[in-house]
Amino acid sequence: MPFNSYPYFVFLAVAVLVFRLLEKNAPTARRVFLLVASYLFYAWWRADFLLLLCGSTLVNYLLGRQIEKDREKARFGRGLLVAGLAFNLGLIAIFKYDTLFVGTADRILDIGLPIPHFFLPLAISFFTFEQISYLVDVHSGKTHNYTLLDYALFVAYFPHLIAGPIVRHNDLIPQFRQARTGNDDLATGITLFTIGLAKKSLIADNLAPFADAIFNAAGRGVHIGFTDSWLGTLFFAFQIYFDFSAYSDMALGSSVMLGIRLPVNFHSPYKSSSIIEFWRRWHISLSAFLRDYLYFPLGGNRHGRPRRYLNLFITMLLGGLWHGANWTFMLWGGLHGLFLAVNHGFRTATQGMQAPPKILQMPLRVASVALTFTATGLAWIVFRASDLHAAGNVAGGLVGLGDSAIVSFSPLAAAALLLLFGLVWFMPNSMELMWRHRPALPSPYPDQPVMSARRLAWRPTPWNAAAYGLICILAVLALSNLKPFIYFQF
Amino acid sequence: MKKNRYAFWFLGNVALAIAALAAFNAVAGSYILHHPCGGSVETLSGFERALKPVWLDEIRPKLVLIGSSRVRDGFDPTLIDPALNTHSFNYGASSMTPYEARRFVQDALAQPSVTQVVVALDAFTGNGGVGEALPSFDETRLAVTPEGTPTPRRRLWLMTTRFLSGGALGMNALAAWSLAQLKEGQTAADRPDIFGAYSHMTRAIMERDLAYRRARSMRMGEAADRELSVTLAAACHAKARLILFFPPDNMAIIARYRQSDGPGLDAFKQRVSQAVASHNQQCENKVALFDFLAPNALTTEPLKDGVSANYVDLVHFRPPAGLWLLRQMGM
Repeated sequence: MPFNSYPYFVFLAVAVLVFRLLEKNAPTARRVFLLVASYLFYAWWRADFLLLLCGSTLVNYLLGRQIEKDREKARFGRGLLVAGLAFNLGLIAIFKYDTLFVGTADRILDIGLPIPHFFLPLAISFFTFEQISYLVDVHSGKTHNYTLLDYALFVAYFPHLIAGPIVRHNDLIPQFRQARTGNDDLATGITLFTIGLAKKSLIADNLAPFADAIFNAAGRGVHIGFTDSWLGTLFFAFQIYFDFSAYSDMALGSSVMLGIRLPVNFHSPYKSSSIIEFWRRWHISLSAFLRDYLYFPLGGNRHGRPRRYLNLFITMLLGGLWHGANWTFMLWGGLHGLFLAVNHGFRTATQGMQAPPKILQMPLRVASVALTFTATGLAWIVFRASDLHAAGNVAGGLVGLGDSAIVSFSPLAAAALLLLFGLVWFMPNSMELMWRHRPALPSPYPDQPVMSARRLAWRPTPWNAAAYGLICILAVLALSNLKPFIYFQF
Repeated sequence: MKKNRYAFWFLGNVALAIAALAAFNAVAGSYILHHPCGGSVETLSGFERALKPVWLDEIRPKLVLIGSSRVRDGFDPTLIDPALNTHSFNYGASSMTPYEARRFVQDALAQPSVTQVVVALDAFTGNGGVGEALPSFDETRLAVTPEGTPTPRRRLWLMTTRFLSGGALGMNALAAWSLAQLKEGQTAADRPDIFGAYSHMTRAIMERDLAYRRARSMRMGEAADRELSVTLAAACHAKARLILFFPPDNMAIIARYRQSDGPGLDAFKQRVSQAVASHNQQCENKVALFDFLAPNALTTEPLKDGVSANYVDLVHFRPPAGLWLLRQMGM
């Protein structure tokens, strides 16, 4: 059920209402209700895949319980953990990557392998990763004998089920059991949800046709012209920014209405002055997951610099592939791995050097933000392109190798770009606007904390009720089409 | 202000606005559908991709006309229905892509009331591939999925589009306002200032068109060719009959196509003819093909100082010409 649709609005309203009726007197019933609602939410898309979600949940829960029991008996073998990882990775490999791997092997070997085409179950990447983190934590003794009801709700809880944030069991499960102290969450939740809806329907969806026209043409083999390439790249960079931040706001806002906080997932990534910082602001829950469950187990920075850079590169390569079964995503991840390695190398090389004079600090910061934006923007080309040829067609256009004229650089386009740069660089983000009212769990990166906005911070005033109400109405009016979120495909 | 009061005012205002939107769309929609000249609003340009699938579902026509702005401007159901004793619907939309054309044909063929679907083939030119559509096109409103199976929860999506979408608000407002401008006894033909499909080409328009379309060609790319094949396949087992036609662009524009890419134009026509012939050999439900992109009474109309009885500009023909075309197709 897409967040940006009337059926979801009705579903959410009913869910919040019933949950609130149950929460005071029936703590178990409210959790049962939330689980049933979450399964209905998933089944709306395809009821048959609900079996996969339930089956995966049950297998992981039973494995986790057995590992816990073994720990209690001081048996610390890794057999069950390995079996659990194999089960989860096998599931995702079958449903998500089989076509890519078998198809590629067939292309290379040319032996006529039968290429399977499984239907990709919605949210499989997200619920699989969350369950892997659970099994690893069980094995490390970080869990607390959860009930099946709590565990199933942690996996299926509808605000984060489809596209994150990727939550940890210890962030979410204790909240399911806590009774809310105040009755203020509804106002915070609907405001955050409205900001997200506006970002999606008023901004991201209006950028999509331009970016689509250019990247689709590139996919058809058109050599994209200079203006088209730059506009397509910029429009997509802003489209995915507003699309994903919209999704995150709506997920967090939905959850806040139920009195449950999800982790902050998006924190003005285009304000980053380095790629390291970018990954502490973009899809924060994924980067923290990759850090804790892939980069650290690979050795992190414990085995010298070359190994550290290699670990970073491998982590980002796999992080890229997590997004989708296409080599373009792997290349995108690889590019970010390379950027991160260069960034860390630069930091190491300049460590201990004298700080630049004060007069240079601001221009250097501006240049760093611009450079980071350019690097991430260029990497988006391979992320968005349908294949490597299409990415080459767009990238070639950036240096004038193509001649298409799909969109024109009109005054309107210039004004739109200025406005977009203004929004992402100079405006407080939704978390900062709402931070005083605890809309989310804090960032796992202590050096990038969310701070409350000094200006425009949200308060429950009549003016804000009117202003956000108007934004909500405009956003709802723009809902003529059902346009899924970009991250729903992952 | 307490947060509970904030939530009350916020939700109250939004709920009121949505209720007002739904009420306006319901009233305006009913007014349009019951107006004697209601069919003429199908020639208007606006949010046609949003609302026309809803209208198609409600109007339940026998004859559906599909294509780009040529079709949207050129066929007025208010004119066609009494003349041909039928019940028609104009499913035209500006700059229709090949994928949209295929999907609209699939939608029309899936309607139980429809017996004939007429498609202008210029929608199958250009290079747009699978899934490429213009803003406000939405799969969920169409009767069948791209694979031909019934669209899940279509009734729900049609309902939210009809009553709760901004696209419907825009189209309903434009259409209701246009109809309200017609005085007793007037038709759309009497108000070409509002219903632009009934306006006449002038010398200035002709010259602007000749300059604007100086490098135009009409050829079919591979992706469009595939969409045409899927369209024909959809017609094979359908109850309704599919009728294709090359649109009657003025000879001055056909000359431009020949100048820019003559072989491309010939290949387009040849490919369509082959596809139709092949389809007719394999399927019982035969497809008819008409070529008006050639010298005929419309395309060779002598223009006196650029003024034409048949054209709004050099490619958009007027509704009376659209009626003439349907008669040429034997309707």
